[in-house]
Amino acid sequence: MSRTREQAGSSKSSGSAGSTEEKEKDERIFECNICLDTAKDAVVSMCGHLFCWPCLHQWLETRPTRQVCPVCKAAISKDKVIPLYGRGAAKHEDPRNNVPPRPAGQRSEPEANVGFPGFGFGDGSYMSFGIGTFPFTFFTSTFNFGETRPSAAPRGTPQFEEEQFLSKVFLWLAVIFICWLLMA
Amino acid sequence: MAALPRRIIKETQRLMQEPVPGISAVPDDTNARYFHVIVTGPEDSPFEGGLFKLELFLPEDYPMSAPKVRFITKIYHPNIDRLGRICLDILKDKWSPALQIRTVLLSIQALLSAPNPDDPLANDVAELWKVNESEAIRNAKEWTRRYAMDN
Repeated sequence: MSRTREQAGSSKSSGSAGSTEEKEKDERIFECNICLDTAKDAVVSMCGHLFCWPCLHQWLETRPTRQVCPVCKAAISKDKVIPLYGRGAAKHEDPRNNVPPRPAGQRSEPEANVGFPGFGFGDGSYMSFGIGTFPFTFFTSTFNFGETRPSAAPRGTPQFEEEQFLSKVFLWLAVIFICWLLMA
Repeated sequence: MAALPRRIIKETQRLMQEPVPGISAVPDDTNARYFHVIVTGPEDSPFEGGLFKLELFLPEDYPMSAPKVRFITKIYHPNIDRLGRICLDILKDKWSPALQIRTVLLSIQALLSAPNPDDPLANDVAELWKVNESEAIRNAKEWTRRYAMDN
């Protein structure tokens, strides 16, 4: 009798203890490895270890000659940390503290999803030029398919002269073509 | 004295909640930065069965600098001198703020299992440990029985 009551009591207490324990464990995952508090102004080193930025900054200041991760001793530097921007990370900065701001996150723009570039809609220069010499623009645009134009060759090189010659040839061709159109 | 950093409070709480087997660290009643430590001699070492008293002090800039630890109980060990000072890299240049009281004491206990006479602090002990290891171990056992068992 007394035993069952004891069991019930213990299971009840262990249940509530379990939930608080779990909550604490959850918090510990996001603890700064230096101050053991939930990381604030959190940064992650390239080796993946979490710190408060002020804590890590202070440590790197105290050991300027030995910049290693406090946890795994991998080489680290102040510029090579990734800031973590959680939700609800309210900013309350003390103007008296002299820790510089965290390095900013490194963003790269998503690749623009370019559709068929052939007709050059939305590209003014293509359009205005394109009416008179339609077949040519069509050719150039199809040959330039999806690629950016290579930069012009520097002046004085054989390639530059070749390009000049080619452009002249095409200019004459265009003039002849236009003349032919006018005659016809 | 300045307020106790939250890290020290947390470490103390966790040492109480989840004590390390074979190690006890209790903060002093009057100074929360000063700990009374007892480390048991590891199994299969000449220090087995002994209870070694140490003192541990957390300096002002802890955890940016290492805790100061010293053996109070006399011990015959090549890396621990007559005054109880310990030759351990993590207490000096290899300190890292990610280490804790818990990990430091575990390292000290591991040092008892693995004496390193090539990096000595007590020269006479280290010398004997190198030239006549069995006699050194006999001495260590004798010191353990004499100084670390009757308390």
